[in-house]
Amino acid sequence: MPFGTNPIVPKTKRISVEFLVTQLRDKIRMQVQACASVSACMQRYLTEADLHRPGLALTGYTHLFAWKRVQVLGNTECEYLENLPPVAQREAFGNLTQFEIPVMFVTHGNELGPHLLEMAEAAGIPVFTTHTETIKFMYLLRDFLEDQFALQTIVHGAMVDVYGIGILITGKAGIGKSEVALDLVERGHRLVADDVVTLTRKNNVLMAAATDINKHFMEVRGLGIIDIMSMFGIRAVRYQKRLEVLLELYLWDEITEIDRTGLERKREAILDVEVPVIQLPITPGKNITVIAEVVAMNYLLNNYGYDAARTFQERIKTRIAQKTKTGNNGPKRFVDYFEGDVE
Amino acid sequence: MIKKKVIVINSSGIHARPASMLVKTAAKFTSEFHIHSHGYRINAKSILGVLTLAAECGAELELEFSGEDEEQACEAISHLFEQGFGMMDTDEGGSS
Repeated sequence: MPFGTNPIVPKTKRISVEFLVTQLRDKIRMQVQACASVSACMQRYLTEADLHRPGLALTGYTHLFAWKRVQVLGNTECEYLENLPPVAQREAFGNLTQFEIPVMFVTHGNELGPHLLEMAEAAGIPVFTTHTETIKFMYLLRDFLEDQFALQTIVHGAMVDVYGIGILITGKAGIGKSEVALDLVERGHRLVADDVVTLTRKNNVLMAAATDINKHFMEVRGLGIIDIMSMFGIRAVRYQKRLEVLLELYLWDEITEIDRTGLERKREAILDVEVPVIQLPITPGKNITVIAEVVAMNYLLNNYGYDAARTFQERIKTRIAQKTKTGNNGPKRFVDYFEGDVE
Repeated sequence: MIKKKVIVINSSGIHARPASMLVKTAAKFTSEFHIHSHGYRINAKSILGVLTLAAECGAELELEFSGEDEEQACEAISHLFEQGFGMMDTDEGGSS
């Protein structure tokens, strides 16, 4: 299997709270207001993508308290605190501030009292408030963090968007992956990356992209390095594409058994996401580009519920069943009577 | 499979010319050749792969060879790194 041993690396090990807040404001366009320890944002780092609601920790049960995560204080936590007498409020909040919490978000327009914010300030814990509802906030934040800490790997191949289907062409060095990709680009398909493809798992989907260095460059043996974007224009490239099909090229030999019907679909797990694999033997005179287009169209047909191999198999089954009933034998011509050369 | 750690010693790092030498040498052997850097594993038989590393002078890389002629391949590639890709004196800072 082509990528069995490729190491898996998280995109980042940690992000600063400062970065998180800037991204929330700029990219997700969320309103967040700083309330305490703004200056500490630079020194506080997140190392986990998970969120935590510290309800139980407020009540004093801090065993197994996941304090390294983002703490989200929603209606439940805030109402619990409000209904306590001021002294007990400090005590409850102190259960949190004794830990080095990276950041707290107070959601759904809730606010913490000034005496609690002072405690956070003293402990150097940044506190932010937002009007966004807790569940919506948690969903958006979690999605962002999942992307930041997503698992990644780098694979060798050429990634092309063919009719909207992300095909990763793999195979040994020198087998002609780049040439096939170039041919596909020439026919109006879009290149994502050549030779060095980063794969990121997000929400159980594999996203492919180039690296910041090799983006839209390609190496063609005999020519050297060429720039696809300046040569073919913006319509010939893409920044990212979901990986949907693996097309593995190999030199044809008589030993390797190949599935001739297409009924058995091989799948390979990359970063624990299963992707269909098509192993394509290379023989003289074979137009791999057209086959890549057919692979994409076949994938689309399958997606729309039509499986050619299965349909054909069904047809055979019906015929066999008919034969045993009627005793009809031999292949039948599709046309009963040739009236002339008309449809 | 053999693994070997090497250090880039030519002052301008692995730019186009060293990368081209590396890939050309690797292509003479049938063994697979990968380079590990920053936790990633890159196919070093592709020039874009090697260039993507943008390995600077002093960078430590781990070479991985696997195949029938892995020992000869390892020796030839290591030699390139030890010689600074033959551009220890004439290095022009990657301008060429």
